[in-house]
Amino acid sequence: MKRLLQILIWTAVAGLGAVALGTIAFHRGEPINATWFVLAAACSYLVAYRLYSAFIAAKLLALDNTRATPAERLDDGRDFVPTNKWVLFGHHFAAIAGPGPLVGPTLAAQFGYLPGTLWLIAGAAFAGCVQDFVILFCSIRRDGKTLGEMARDEVSKRGGLIAQLAVLTIMIILLAVVALVVVNALKSSPWATFTLAMTIPIALLLGVYLRYFRPGRVLEASLIGVALVLFVVVAGQWVADSPYLAKVFTLGGVTLAFAIIAYGFAASALPVWLLLAPRDYLSAFIKAGAIFSLAAGILLVRPQVLMPPLTRFVDGTGPVFAGKIFPFCFITIACGAISGFHSLISSGTTPKMIQREGHARFIGYGAMLLESFVGVMAMVAACAMTPGVYFAINSPASIVGATPEAAAATISSWGYPLSAGTMTGLAHAVGEQTLLNRAGGAPSLAVGMAQIFSSTIGGDRLLSIWYHFAIMFEALFILTVLDAGTRVGRFMIQELGGRVWKPMGRLNWMPGILLSSALIVGAWGYFLYQGVVDPLGGINSLWPLFGISNQLLAAVALVVATTILMKMGKLKWIWVTLLPMGWLVVITMTASYQKIFSANARIGFLAQANALAAQIAAGKVAAAKIADTHRNIFNLRLDAVVTAVLAAMILVLLVEALAQWYAILSRDKAPVLQETPYVATQWAEGD
Amino acid sequence: MQTLWRQLESALRNFWSGIRQWSGDSAYETYLACAQRQRSKKPLSATEFYVEQLNRKYSRPNRCC
Repeated sequence: MKRLLQILIWTAVAGLGAVALGTIAFHRGEPINATWFVLAAACSYLVAYRLYSAFIAAKLLALDNTRATPAERLDDGRDFVPTNKWVLFGHHFAAIAGPGPLVGPTLAAQFGYLPGTLWLIAGAAFAGCVQDFVILFCSIRRDGKTLGEMARDEVSKRGGLIAQLAVLTIMIILLAVVALVVVNALKSSPWATFTLAMTIPIALLLGVYLRYFRPGRVLEASLIGVALVLFVVVAGQWVADSPYLAKVFTLGGVTLAFAIIAYGFAASALPVWLLLAPRDYLSAFIKAGAIFSLAAGILLVRPQVLMPPLTRFVDGTGPVFAGKIFPFCFITIACGAISGFHSLISSGTTPKMIQREGHARFIGYGAMLLESFVGVMAMVAACAMTPGVYFAINSPASIVGATPEAAAATISSWGYPLSAGTMTGLAHAVGEQTLLNRAGGAPSLAVGMAQIFSSTIGGDRLLSIWYHFAIMFEALFILTVLDAGTRVGRFMIQELGGRVWKPMGRLNWMPGILLSSALIVGAWGYFLYQGVVDPLGGINSLWPLFGISNQLLAAVALVVATTILMKMGKLKWIWVTLLPMGWLVVITMTASYQKIFSANARIGFLAQANALAAQIAAGKVAAAKIADTHRNIFNLRLDAVVTAVLAAMILVLLVEALAQWYAILSRDKAPVLQETPYVATQWAEGD
Repeated sequence: MQTLWRQLESALRNFWSGIRQWSGDSAYETYLACAQRQRSKKPLSATEFYVEQLNRKYSRPNRCC
């Protein structure tokens, strides 16, 4: 009877999901309600978790709850700490959920709501969650080894080095692109700039409190910090209203870029307890609060989605970024569908804290489903605003014009009606001088979130407060990614440098710290500066580069996972990781090829460089701009080289893996699995 | 009624303990308990543990994009 009831319930969930998916896929004409998105996503995730993850856990991985995990065997109260599965789920989710699932879907909304939403749901269920789950399992069986170590042990020595270099490269591109999102959100906005600047002294205050007054009392310190941050969000309005202070905090893109570069250097070189850790605590609480509020807001308001399912920009001529749905939708939305970076978390802290192998399904597969849900909510928030407004905020001035009148005329001519007064009125309502040309996703998401929040609490009166709360929330946790990433990048450079010159590897040697910090900050700072001065808005070239590198890392993770599963003799089910791996290789290779060689100057780096060179040769560039144009040409060629190097890295790894697979399949050599031997758990079943 | 109250109290206690573990608020207590189990002679002080733990945590990728 119970079984029959279960079957009925799950059939109903699947049926409801199918109806909701069908509705958003085939709906045409009138706007569609956001409730369909929530239903489609939630039902699909439930079915995927109930069926697909259970199948992977049982057939592919054969999770074994009688086997002691590293947390039990190596318990040291520091790294290896047995942790309740709900708490660890929260830890893991807080670590994997960054700005990616918010920004990517917002940018991909230029194709319409449909391609991005379907990729978010299907990508997570069949690729992203699988990657996180399988890599977590592999790392648990290897005492919490990192992806790089597993690549070295299971694929080849060269594979390990490639994984390490890929991580460093993706980190550099990632940090540059997220910093660019912050710059575009803060430029010419005294309110937002003041609020974010104030989070630095607040973090320092918390750092001193936690280090000297109440060591480790994170909760009380975070509460104080969150209250102070909320206060400075409101106080930002007074700054924006004061003629003198507003002038001080009104900064251009280049100045903001240098300020962020200086901040990144300080966060990398200063003691971690002073700035980095307290900011991370603040960010974690505000992030959790904002994501839950967004979900609650969408459920309460149930906004109409005004963006059509498909826009005219599916042909690749989009103003936000150039390129067709295939492959660009799939690399623009990385986090939220599949993100290679997650494999570093799944092979980092989480495997050292898991109590039972069986928990890996809930934590690895489940947390990624939740992240995908955040991506769907970001898509809803972006698509709930008028398409004309969306394009005005996200398009660069070189495409739509720099004034409200010019932008309104251009965007209306595309078939998305917009009046200049709408943009001026909206900017005024959210307390900004302008909302035009803010490519990067953060401001449009903030407008979408503010509209949803203000429909719940406060109405139009609080629109500006909600907008700046949303901007502060995005910028705060982007800076957390930035400073934590810079510090990790510094360690990677020190480790790689230590192989060449021993003293560089000493983590407490001050010249080494300063040099490696300068190197990592200089690397992402260069790309950031390039993005800020790029006439096409920077996002057009940098976000695809980030997407390609992140998806390449996912391909690396899936190559490692497939190799391990093959060695385990799981050939019958190998398609579970092999198919997403193949898909990632196809999309990243196609995107890399198009970004380097496309004849369309808005897509191809080389074509754009050649077009600029031709303009100089034809005397069409003003004398004052020739030096800038030469720099742009150099940058575009550099982007082409970086893309080519990334693509070459995955191809080399793939060849190494294919050789391994051939040897295993042809039984030339017995597969050697570097798994920790079985030890029975000492814990009772219910522990 | 009393049983219901007890269940609610226990649920709240678990929730609070979960929040403390998630945020890192109870990390030192966890460490001390472990040190005691392993009969460590000179466990770190709260400040030493806090700084050491942060240095380890932020030396590897711990925040994603």
